[in-house]
Amino acid sequence: MEILAGILISTGLIFFLGTTIGLLRFPDFYSRMHAAGKGDTLSTVVILLGCICLISTQGGLSWVLGLKILLIINFIFIGSPTATHAMMDAGNKAGAKPWKKVAE
Amino acid sequence: MPSLPIWQFDVPLLILVVLFAMVALSIRNLMGAAIVFGAYSFMMCLIWAGMGAVDVAFTEAAVGAGVSTVFIVSTIYNTGATMPPSPGGLPFKLFIGVVVTLTGVFLLSALPDFPKWGEPNSPANATVAPYYISNTIADAYVPNIVTTVLADYRGFDTLLETTVVFIACIAIYSILRVDEARSKTEDSGPVDAEPHYDPSDSLIVRQASRFMVPFMQLFALYVIAHGHYSPGGGFQGGVILGASLILVAISFDLKFLLSQWREKQIMLMVAWGVFLYAAVGLGCVFMGGNYLDYGFLNPVLPGELDMARSHGILLVEIGVGITVMFSMIGIHINLASNGHFDRGL
Amino acid sequence: MENLIANFNYVIVVILMMIGLWSMLAQNNLIKKCIGMAIFQTGIILFFISIGAKDNALIPILTEAGDHIYHDPDVAKVANPLTQILMLTAIVVGVATLGVGLALAQKIYREYSSFDEDEILNKQAK
Repeated sequence: MEILAGILISTGLIFFLGTTIGLLRFPDFYSRMHAAGKGDTLSTVVILLGCICLISTQGGLSWVLGLKILLIINFIFIGSPTATHAMMDAGNKAGAKPWKKVAE
Repeated sequence: MPSLPIWQFDVPLLILVVLFAMVALSIRNLMGAAIVFGAYSFMMCLIWAGMGAVDVAFTEAAVGAGVSTVFIVSTIYNTGATMPPSPGGLPFKLFIGVVVTLTGVFLLSALPDFPKWGEPNSPANATVAPYYISNTIADAYVPNIVTTVLADYRGFDTLLETTVVFIACIAIYSILRVDEARSKTEDSGPVDAEPHYDPSDSLIVRQASRFMVPFMQLFALYVIAHGHYSPGGGFQGGVILGASLILVAISFDLKFLLSQWREKQIMLMVAWGVFLYAAVGLGCVFMGGNYLDYGFLNPVLPGELDMARSHGILLVEIGVGITVMFSMIGIHINLASNGHFDRGL
Repeated sequence: MENLIANFNYVIVVILMMIGLWSMLAQNNLIKKCIGMAIFQTGIILFFISIGAKDNALIPILTEAGDHIYHDPDVAKVANPLTQILMLTAIVVGVATLGVGLALAQKIYREYSSFDEDEILNKQAK
């Protein structure tokens, strides 16, 4: 179980690394928000799934704690993409233009 | 369970915290400075959790990183001045820099006299804290030592702190509130079924917040009630409740929130929390004991005979939660609408 | 030198306090001054929490050991709760103070249409 938790948390960290690189390297506001919103949510969910695997080794009433972490995953899954949508909407209203590839 | 503190975790976070502080103060765009300040608060919260202060980390995550950032963003957004003009006055800043560096060196010269970090017998850890740690179960049957000391052993401090939050809310009202706008908001009656929000605003944000707000409030009530057995208590629960109302104000319209919670009701409830706290203390005096000595409430409170201190702590935390909740929403409404109470963030 | 490494926390606390102090004195923008005040306050809170930390200590919430009998805590193994409570109060009072500071800044903006200290002083001198 702990090996599975280690694999899941490492995968989540790799997704976070990809998110950060995308946040820095993409040319445009909208594509950066794309990277931040999707990568952020996914890596947080995967890391929390790894935490569920870790605490299941503790025994006792740890299934209650696992249920609580599942609820956290649920709310992050709803809230984080909504926040990304709100930011993109605000950027659209403020007039940010999508990046167009310059014809060489 | 691993024991704290973990130095591999603390040292990079401490260095990051200093970097974030410097960045937050040198960014020219004020909105960016507010967001970096929120990130700085989150880093501090992680450091404190790493040192074993889970209640403090919880409060900082709710208050410092959540509500403080919203306050700063509301202030800046409403005035529209997001970029300061280019700074000047370099000689003055150099002089202040020299003064500040000298002060820092002077403070650091006391470093060899400090006890080693983490030592269990340092003067801060050895005077009255061992009594609190050893006797909290025998006195009050509450496993969370922080809650016991906060509401029982040091109950006076918490009463006056709640009063400070109340005074801050009233002070902000008296600074910012604009008189001629008051007659516009008092007319919306309780049967006003028409939504006040602009329908062209995003449906997704409205529906998501409509889904999340009841769960946030339920969780906040859980945090207040379960503060005896887990990190939590009145402040954290009150701030989460206030944050749920701020979410309603942001995702719908400010007028929508004001049609649900009118201005007079908010002010009344802020006062009710402090009144509940002080009334519990007075009740102890009526039963023949000292002020805020919960042990004397034994004949009045239900339950086993010795649980009066635990129930007294719970009542007091409820009072604190009520005041903090309505203070947060009162401060936000004032800051976001610049006192006019019509448009908001 | 060993002092510096053993007390690294306190060095960071002093650095944070000095950053906050410099910002409150030398920055022209009112909002940056408020943020500097908040940084100063969190630095002080870090100082108090560092004082109360203990080596290999657990959090100050006692756990039960079978049949609701809470184990007798070893005082050297429980993090100091007293400093944490003082800092809980400090955080909440800090956010109240930040709110009042921001309200004052907004009221000043209403009068002078600027957050910049130099411009406000110039307009006042006229």
